[in-house]
Amino acid sequence: MSGVISYQEWTEEQKYEQFIKRIEAGEKIEADDWMPEDYRLTLIKLISMHGISEIMGALPEKEWVPKAPSLKRKLGIMAKVQDEMGHGQLLLRVAEDLMKPLGKTREDIMQDLFSGRLKFHNVFHMEAPTWGDAGLIGWLVDGAAIITQTNMLNASYGPYARALKRICAEEVFHAQHGEAIIMALAEGTDEQRAMVQDAVNRWWEALLMFFGPGDATTTGTSKQDTTIKYKIRTKTNEELRQDFFTKYIPRVLSLGLTVPDETMQFDQQQNLWVYKQPDWNKFKDIIKNNGPKSKERLGLRQTAYDTNEWVRDALNTAN
Amino acid sequence: MNKPDNKPFDPAIKSALTALLYQLADDDFILAYRGSEWLGLAPHIEEDVAFSSISQDTMGHAAMFYQLLEDLGEGNIDSLAHGREASERKNAVLLEMVNGPGHYLSTAQYDWAFAVVRNYFYVQAKKVRMDSLKNSSYQPLADVALKVNMELYYHLLHWKTWFVQLMQAGGEARPRMEAAIKKVLGDFEGVLTLGPLGNEIAEHGLIEAEERLKQRWLFMMEPVFESVNLSVSESVFAMKNGNGRKGEHTADLDAALSTLSEVYNVDPAASW
Amino acid sequence: MGSEGFYQEFEVFSKRTDTSSLQYQFSLLAPNRELALVMAQENFMRREPVADIWVVKRSDVRKMTPEEKQSLMRLDNKEYRTTKGYGYLKKKWRHYEQEMLDEKEILSWGGMKKSE
Repeated sequence: MSGVISYQEWTEEQKYEQFIKRIEAGEKIEADDWMPEDYRLTLIKLISMHGISEIMGALPEKEWVPKAPSLKRKLGIMAKVQDEMGHGQLLLRVAEDLMKPLGKTREDIMQDLFSGRLKFHNVFHMEAPTWGDAGLIGWLVDGAAIITQTNMLNASYGPYARALKRICAEEVFHAQHGEAIIMALAEGTDEQRAMVQDAVNRWWEALLMFFGPGDATTTGTSKQDTTIKYKIRTKTNEELRQDFFTKYIPRVLSLGLTVPDETMQFDQQQNLWVYKQPDWNKFKDIIKNNGPKSKERLGLRQTAYDTNEWVRDALNTAN
Repeated sequence: MNKPDNKPFDPAIKSALTALLYQLADDDFILAYRGSEWLGLAPHIEEDVAFSSISQDTMGHAAMFYQLLEDLGEGNIDSLAHGREASERKNAVLLEMVNGPGHYLSTAQYDWAFAVVRNYFYVQAKKVRMDSLKNSSYQPLADVALKVNMELYYHLLHWKTWFVQLMQAGGEARPRMEAAIKKVLGDFEGVLTLGPLGNEIAEHGLIEAEERLKQRWLFMMEPVFESVNLSVSESVFAMKNGNGRKGEHTADLDAALSTLSEVYNVDPAASW
Repeated sequence: MGSEGFYQEFEVFSKRTDTSSLQYQFSLLAPNRELALVMAQENFMRREPVADIWVVKRSDVRKMTPEEKQSLMRLDNKEYRTTKGYGYLKKKWRHYEQEMLDEKEILSWGGMKKSE
């Protein structure tokens, strides 16, 4: 770095060049550092969506918190859903700091969620009608989330990488929590086994969708190129989906469960899993808040937010 | 009577002891359940995380008290927690009351003022009990009380902070808090009472007498009430909705039990 | 009607044990420092031991601008400030048949009693 000209006198091009040099060298960008506008906007979009998905993700599992079938399971799932809220907290703080120069706060994030401008992950729009779903979410939805999140552990944006490090450490507990529920059911009565299989069948398509479309030709837009260019992530959606198959398909099968795709197989020559594509139009529709539970969960989130408004007003030091 | 080992219990002591243990366990269990319904719905995200830790601790305490009952041959902890009818439950009615109108999955309009007051007043009462139980004649209970007590400092700090701040805040906060206090005190006698076997429980040295515990609660709370300009007279302590220690409960408990045991009841013998 | 005043930013620091140094944890939003303190423990340290917690309002922290961070750079010519600049003493002391009192040796004196 040249100490001769003041940084403030640098041209945008020089700043951009230095920025690229820094991320190429594996340096981390911090909240107050200069960053290109599309980097900031991509991060805001990615991280606020990630954060709000954690918050919305607490809701399908929330159903099973009071209902969990033993004291141990009640405690375990409470701790797990608490973590989801905690991950939301970490991620929203990261997003909020990025939005600060744009004059936006958590209030705006919540309002964007309620208005539909801010989307959340497809999986959290789905129904979770049985205890088997509670287990499946912990096992496979969290498993999928672990795959995408570990892929960003070395993200060029320091605050996000640090939040992910905390999150992934807790995800290890989540994965085992989910496995424990699933294992008990898979080794249990016929009724319990059926509960898991139903849950796998119900969630399969949503799990495939979780990683996003293979490329922009599927759904019209894809942020994956920008995120790879800026070293926020390394692998493509499809690579992550393949990783998920490799890690989890053998486990699913080993428990005597099946996946609801008779075309699914590992192609030795291509070294790839071959599978039936989910309905990407349905995916687009779901994330536009037209999923089976989208409205109800947004309604619950908004009702809680509005009901508690007096608390925030009462302690609002700006008043 | 230090241990439930070979020596058979005096039946009078045993019934007093189990009566007390059911109260302790059921109180914590049902309040932790109500706390678990709040998950995801607190006034802000940071509070959601903090509150959930308290609910987990509280359910953990319930599990320890149920374990003492299991050790006395009352059944296993999960059937004690999930498999008993409302009429068999000994929790205070205040602790079973719903968090507010609406269902926890769709229309919950939970009352944060009620949550703060109920939890704060209860945790202080629990602290008084645990302090007394440290000298219980039943050593396993004294041991558990010592452990439970450790986690109550945080619970008290947390709820007291919210209580004091909302009592002193502007806007709708004060009237909402006062309404919640009225509601809580209207059933607070139900928390403080040791139930029909209260005298026996105290006589056997399991815990101190109800009246002493109540006075200690007032003694602990008065400086806080004074600091927020609130006067509370014990004449308003009541059991408007019944005496849970006698197995009297509300429809709120029935609904809670059917939710919390829904999966358990699919197959109580299965391993979950 | 916004909630901006409710959402104040606080930085959270903690000590893992009585003897460890203060460590930065993360930031949180709370309406004031009392509530910030009450939130801090369970938000960031619910699975690890903690012996002390500090919360600091972010606006009270004087941070460096990127410009100012340039003031942190210095030349690698300050051996005179470190033991590196005095390494030759080792050989010298050997000449007098003495051991050099290096860092390892000096810092080991803390636990030494006279009688030992």
